[in-house]
Amino acid sequence: MEKNFIIAGFGGQGVLLAGEVLANAFMLADKHVTWYPSYGAEMRGGTVNCEIVMSDEEVSAVNKKDLDFLVALNQLSFDKFLPKLKKGATVIANSTLVKKSQPIEGINYVFAPLSELATELGNVKMTNILSLGLLAKELGFENLELLEQALDNVLPPHRKNLLPLNFKALKLGYTYDLVKQ
Amino acid sequence: MAELTIGKKILTKGNYAIAHAAVLAGCECYFGYPITPQSEIGEYLSVKMQEEGRAFVCAESELSAINMVMGACSTGAKAMTSSSSCAVALMQEAIACACTDELPVVLISVMRGGPGLGYIYPSQGDYNQATITGGNGDFRTIVLAPSTVQECVDLTYKAFHLAHKYRNPTILLADGLMGQMMEPVEFKPYPYEEIDHSDWALTGAKGRPARSIKSLGVDVDKQCEHIKNLFAKYKKIEENETEWEEFDTEDADIILMSFGSPSRGVKSAVKELRKQGLKVGFFRPITLFPFPHKRLAELAQRVKKFVVIEINMGQMVRDVRLAVNGAAKVEQINKPVGAPIDVETIIEEVKRMI
Repeated sequence: MEKNFIIAGFGGQGVLLAGEVLANAFMLADKHVTWYPSYGAEMRGGTVNCEIVMSDEEVSAVNKKDLDFLVALNQLSFDKFLPKLKKGATVIANSTLVKKSQPIEGINYVFAPLSELATELGNVKMTNILSLGLLAKELGFENLELLEQALDNVLPPHRKNLLPLNFKALKLGYTYDLVKQ
Repeated sequence: MAELTIGKKILTKGNYAIAHAAVLAGCECYFGYPITPQSEIGEYLSVKMQEEGRAFVCAESELSAINMVMGACSTGAKAMTSSSSCAVALMQEAIACACTDELPVVLISVMRGGPGLGYIYPSQGDYNQATITGGNGDFRTIVLAPSTVQECVDLTYKAFHLAHKYRNPTILLADGLMGQMMEPVEFKPYPYEEIDHSDWALTGAKGRPARSIKSLGVDVDKQCEHIKNLFAKYKKIEENETEWEEFDTEDADIILMSFGSPSRGVKSAVKELRKQGLKVGFFRPITLFPFPHKRLAELAQRVKKFVVIEINMGQMVRDVRLAVNGAAKVEQINKPVGAPIDVETIIEEVKRMI
């Protein structure tokens, strides 16, 4: 079984980092995993995305035609990748910046005001990690242990002081009372 | 990025994996000039080499970098450079010189789109550049093509080993996709024996006759003998070092072939086509030189068709045609530049060829 994810947003929203944390969590769960960034002449404020492919066997390929999961942190990313979602796919959208709409049937829409929640938590930069908490819930993770360990793997030594806040953000996303629309 | 420790699985980029593997392989000197999509190699080594007390020089150009590598290698040191397509193009003269001088140069070539400047997206347009090169005269480079980040590690080790074992320039041919993607890898200690270069290296002539290394060959007879010796060495490399991966080839009517990162999608296509009941096999050269001619010639005796899938307009396919020598049909699926062709498209195209 192979599942692929795209995490997308503005440059500076931490989508590449969120993808790296997710890929690390899959690695810790003994899955095969590949992380691949959009790279080019990107700049702060432009759009950035990364694709994560998780598999029980060797990962076949990245840059896939369609998608199982999308995390869209801004409108541009939501609009760009929505048409790539497979039937039965899930999209997690940051409703602070994404207009709520459900144009495609058979897609599981999860809207949450991630930027607002992160700001309430004390740092809007936690938007990306909050989205991972929500994703963990959608993926049926029993707890957040793997993602916490993954965060510890990814954050460099001089950022380890931010781990408690990141854990809080994960938990807030994971336990967020969803009103699916 | 994560701490790269031996014996622990970590998630890292292909470029970092190559750079760290070079450190573990004992690379003493790195000379390079930045270019996307391989700049992380120099970035990582600019810190790590200093920590290890080894040499790191950001050269003023690629031409300088490769000549610095030649200088370091002439002392028997483990030295390397890394670059990409249009910048590897600038190194061609030096590669020919290093081949005739029998210097253990290691070149990491992370392909981007071409021709000319092209752009930073991935490509396989430099199969010819690596295996044939633009250098003058008769010579061969050893070329290794990884398809996973783990292979980036293992084949970087091997590149150092082969370069020093055979005193021959060795190219690790990756692409932008390999360089930029992250996958779990495990770094094992460098598995090869160290090679003694004391009988030829330029180490200062104190207490022994002076030595010189040059590509100038004034005496025609001596030059003939030298080149014949080089080709005897290449034959030995072919006999000992040819490496490939194959599966489901035993009863296959069609064999899909690819090298480097696109071969992963090709592998999936083969598995899917098998599930659909088609007799399809998979073949991936890991060493592009030496190319697995012999094995392909054997397979061609009973396989009806080879389909060669590349992100270029057909470069490896020429080597396949030479190997098959008319015994089976050879067809191609190509895309000039960019990320690999997706699995579904490969499946569709192959089915149309049946």
